[in-house]
Amino acid sequence: MNRLNASAVTWRVLVLLLSLYFLLPLVWLIVSSTKSTGQLFTTFGLWFASPWHLLDNIRGMAAFQGGVVGRWMLNTAVYSGAVALLSTLFSAMAGYAFSRFEFPLKTVLNLMILSAVLLPITALVLPIFLILHDLGLINTYWAVILPLLVNPLGVYLMMIFWDQGFARELQDAAYLDGADEWRVFWQVGLPLVRNGLLTVALFSFVSTWNNFFLPLVVLSKGSLYPITLGLAIWNSTAQTGASVDYPAILVGALISVLPLIIAFFTLQRYWQAGLTSGSLK
Amino acid sequence: MGWSPARAHPTGRVDDAKTLYLSLFTQHGIRPKVFTGLANYVRVLHDGQFLSSLGTIAKFGVIQIPVMLLLALALALYLDGLRSARWRSYFSLSFFLPYAMPTVIGGLLWGYLYSKGLSPFNQMLAPLGGQIDFLGRSGLLWSLGNIITWTWTGYNMIILYSALRGVPGELYEAARIDGATNLQVIRFIKLPMVAPALALAALFSIIGTLQIFAEPFVLGSLTFVPTNLMPNLYIYFTAFNYGNFNYAAALAVVLAIITFALSLGMLALLNFQRRRL
Repeated sequence: MNRLNASAVTWRVLVLLLSLYFLLPLVWLIVSSTKSTGQLFTTFGLWFASPWHLLDNIRGMAAFQGGVVGRWMLNTAVYSGAVALLSTLFSAMAGYAFSRFEFPLKTVLNLMILSAVLLPITALVLPIFLILHDLGLINTYWAVILPLLVNPLGVYLMMIFWDQGFARELQDAAYLDGADEWRVFWQVGLPLVRNGLLTVALFSFVSTWNNFFLPLVVLSKGSLYPITLGLAIWNSTAQTGASVDYPAILVGALISVLPLIIAFFTLQRYWQAGLTSGSLK
Repeated sequence: MGWSPARAHPTGRVDDAKTLYLSLFTQHGIRPKVFTGLANYVRVLHDGQFLSSLGTIAKFGVIQIPVMLLLALALALYLDGLRSARWRSYFSLSFFLPYAMPTVIGGLLWGYLYSKGLSPFNQMLAPLGGQIDFLGRSGLLWSLGNIITWTWTGYNMIILYSALRGVPGELYEAARIDGATNLQVIRFIKLPMVAPALALAALFSIIGTLQIFAEPFVLGSLTFVPTNLMPNLYIYFTAFNYGNFNYAAALAVVLAIITFALSLGMLALLNFQRRRL
């Protein structure tokens, strides 16, 4: 057994304290969602108080505006699921084209996709809003899903995964066996870039789940809100009222972060793969 | 919301072209829009509110980005030197956790942690007779800086840590045979190896800083946040509260140009340094 020397212990304690700082809001959230409004203000924020009010708070949240919070969670799941599925497919297709074909303006298009990452979100959401408005799609599910299907980072990541994961010899062998392009893509290629697909899907799922600006701009109907927008609006309207039902909002916040935290912890190697392949080039 | 490439979902050139197109018109109420050429851009350059938001974001970035990246670098170096795999995985997961939380929820939670009645920090300070006004005029930007640092340090740490993992083991072997101390290994091997990743993280952080929106927006429900505190906030309110889409488009194009210019400048600087090595 290694004995740690004094300086190693100091460092370990320092970093440990720092890790508590990063966990602090989540810990506070978990503790606070078990408290009543009174307890929130009168008991110490970072420790539990008895009696527990978790069930009351969940009931309070579920009762808010006839159960709209459940609807928000469902909406978020629909938005994130649809975007993850479709944008991953489109990224895989576009990445395949960039990886395997020669076509006019390929370099220019490639550069455009990379530079799209630099554009400020407002420069994109303004025209998106007006286009959706012209199409009559404001306040529909499509208003959130359609714009997010275009995923430049996903295309870029898939391009790398195709380059590295699908050998050209294998592709040629498939052609020789009489497979057409479509079959090579679906049946020979895709299974080989499975890790890439999962990485891109995870990132687009998370970024859709976390997206705030787009739904804020294109949705004004409460029943279509994703949970993030719903909670922010609930909080802001509550703040202007006489009393804020903090516990119910907090339980809602807890429920909105749990699926993502679970996804990140169980799919650790995929987000790490995504972050590192994005930074290597 | 959109402060890293991983979260941003830009939609390509067609839309950018439309922003550019919009910015060339002016429309008052329901009257038909008229082509006004570059008038909107002239107005941007004289818009004290917008210029002050740029000044704020510059001051903010100059302090927040180095603090965050130094912290991320220190943590990455610490993780890289850590032998226990269990501690390493605990640390990397807890540092990365804020990234897995929606920015709005993170902003909301910190807003509560800062607020007068709920803040556990002020609860701890109360017996000593002290209170910190986190969301007051002088504290607001520091409090925002803390939220952004909290969210993105772990993300940057993971990027730097993976760059450190890529250092070939023989290098350390050779250094140890030559009798190098830990600090020398960090100074002469690890830091040079991690420099490109650090520069990239700095680039992403600059882009992200210019795009900050959700955190100050959410804090706006808990305290007074000027609508021109940060550029994206000002653009949002110009378009969706005051309905001036054409002028907002011009503001957005200018912000896009600034972002491109800063990124290209940063990349040019990197290439220049690489060539000198």
